[in-house]
Amino acid sequence: MPKNGMLIRIALAVAAIAVVAATAAGSGSAARTSGVTINGAGSSLIAPAIQGTYWAKHFHGATGNTVNYSSVGSGTGEKAIDTRQVSFGASDAPLSVYKNTPNPCAGCVQIPWALTGTVPVANIGLANGKLHLTGTVLANIYLGKITTWNNSAIKKINPGVKLPSKPISVVYRSDGSGDTYVWTHYLSAVSKAWKSRVGFSTTITNWPTGTGFKGNSGVAAAVKSTPGAIGYVSAAYVGSSHLDSAALQNRSSHYVTVSINAIAQAAKIVTKVPSNNEISLVNPPASSKYAGAWPISTFTYVFLHKNGDLNAAATNTTKAFIKWALQHGQYMIRPLTFAPLSSIVINASLKTLGQVSFK
Amino acid sequence: MSTFDATSDAARRPFKGRRTHFGDLILQVTAGLAAAGAIFLVGMIIYKVVEGARLSLSTFGLGFLTHTSEINGDIGGKAFLIGTAVTSIGALALATPLALGVALFLSELAPGWIRGPVTALVETLAAIPSVVIGLWGIIVLIPNLRLHVMPALHSTLGFIPLFGPVTGTGASIFAAIIVLTIMILPIIASISRELFLGVPAELKEGALALGTTRWEMVRGVVFPFARGGVAAAMILGLARALGEAIAVSMVIGAFNGFSWNLFSAGDTLAGRLANDYSSPGTAPTATSSLFYLAVILLVFSIVVNLIAQVIVRRAERRQGLVR
Repeated sequence: MPKNGMLIRIALAVAAIAVVAATAAGSGSAARTSGVTINGAGSSLIAPAIQGTYWAKHFHGATGNTVNYSSVGSGTGEKAIDTRQVSFGASDAPLSVYKNTPNPCAGCVQIPWALTGTVPVANIGLANGKLHLTGTVLANIYLGKITTWNNSAIKKINPGVKLPSKPISVVYRSDGSGDTYVWTHYLSAVSKAWKSRVGFSTTITNWPTGTGFKGNSGVAAAVKSTPGAIGYVSAAYVGSSHLDSAALQNRSSHYVTVSINAIAQAAKIVTKVPSNNEISLVNPPASSKYAGAWPISTFTYVFLHKNGDLNAAATNTTKAFIKWALQHGQYMIRPLTFAPLSSIVINASLKTLGQVSFK
Repeated sequence: MSTFDATSDAARRPFKGRRTHFGDLILQVTAGLAAAGAIFLVGMIIYKVVEGARLSLSTFGLGFLTHTSEINGDIGGKAFLIGTAVTSIGALALATPLALGVALFLSELAPGWIRGPVTALVETLAAIPSVVIGLWGIIVLIPNLRLHVMPALHSTLGFIPLFGPVTGTGASIFAAIIVLTIMILPIIASISRELFLGVPAELKEGALALGTTRWEMVRGVVFPFARGGVAAAMILGLARALGEAIAVSMVIGAFNGFSWNLFSAGDTLAGRLANDYSSPGTAPTATSSLFYLAVILLVFSIVVNLIAQVIVRRAERRQGLVR
């Protein structure tokens, strides 16, 4: 009868809703994690080490806390931590570079937490490390003074190598980048003409020649698709983009191809860390100790406020993440061409980290 | 007792005299607030942009417009100004004849069964997001330009300084002009098509009856009738080209300099803003210089808008429409 049928239908509907509600509530409470989520932003150089199957994933496995990272470039990351939009900012350029900007992050400390290098890559059909370049030649290429690959200056340092007569297409980063900072820092160190004409910074406004692309991936793609192109990328992108890097002559007069050992040798010049943690590894001096050093090596920094984050939980989680990266994360990122930090640097970093506390 | 007075006179007086209808009052107030809000928003944007540029305005003044870089390592406006002008005018010059051709085809020449699909396709072109066109530009357009189109143009027309030697990755002012042409062509084409369809049939048939050819009819009747509207459409396209940031920044090569060679890299006001807005550079005037670029862009847009008003009004007056 219709009335009974209606009652049964209503009863079934109520029962179904009750079951769903109970299940949802039950599973909700079972799946609720006690983990804290922190956000970071900045350098695309350190991005492969944090994202993917490396730091963030292992940190989550070890502590249940989540780290989200946006690879937006060193300049943007520094701005983000200054305005407290994130819990930590990552930059390859030290804090002193930003001191005249509207967001200098005056209450921040910088902590070196990884070590890698920036690498010249060229598309002229020569295998990895086959092309030899010196700092002077590289500077002149980027100044627009050397415009073809079979120029006498390049031929002189590449005896017996067949160089094409193609014009050189210079590629650089169009966005604010720590790689640009390291690259131009190196060019300023090896070329007075470069230093006076262009200088070094995260954003260069007057590249003498060439075309700009966004991000390490943009530069890599441009070099890869343009025969005769030369550009610069973080060491991590050389392998993953299947690009051919050039061997660079260091001050000990050896032609070095980038590798973890070469970067680690450059880092050997650090015998004492200054109180503000700012270390430059560009162009290490001539010495048998640094005979195989990569001349464009760089530390990369994490910035955070001395008086902590917005609350105690976020501050402690951020500190725990950085501490974990320093103590457990160094060896796992070697496949990305990061050299492990020396104990001198790790100790200095941990000491600075200890000064950060939530107020 | 109030009566509902439906005369336009009474409807226009919500506050003075007798209130006619509560609904009318609500309408007047809401619409008035919306209009005031729009004016306030525009005023606020202009104020904030000018305020952001104040440091650069006071430090560099109008000299900003004639230098490519300033002494403290900051940018100057010259290359971006010229780049914006060249890319926008170049795109307009390339897109207008093509768009008029498409519009004529769709309104006069095409058989009936083609018109629908082709119109839809042209309008779909307008719907493609600019970042997708930029991506296509990087992956497809730039290699093709560098390998085929630009060398061919240089070898045949190389005596003109516009088509100079091809060096570099192919990211160039020429690539930006192509991308902008693709973006403004559908705008000009759809508006022109509507205008051509709106030409009174008697005028067209009268001309044909007098013995004119198809082309003479188009040139003598359709074009003059639609002239004001087509000019407005071109201005609309120009405005889109001036403000296009993402697609241009992806294909133009981000180079702060200018040369008459279209095949060299350059930059535009909007393109540089898109590239640098999140990390302006470390000179003290870097951020305010970006705002200065935005001020220049705003001035450009307002001037173009004013010119559009003048052109459209003049064309309408010629047609005898009283304003």
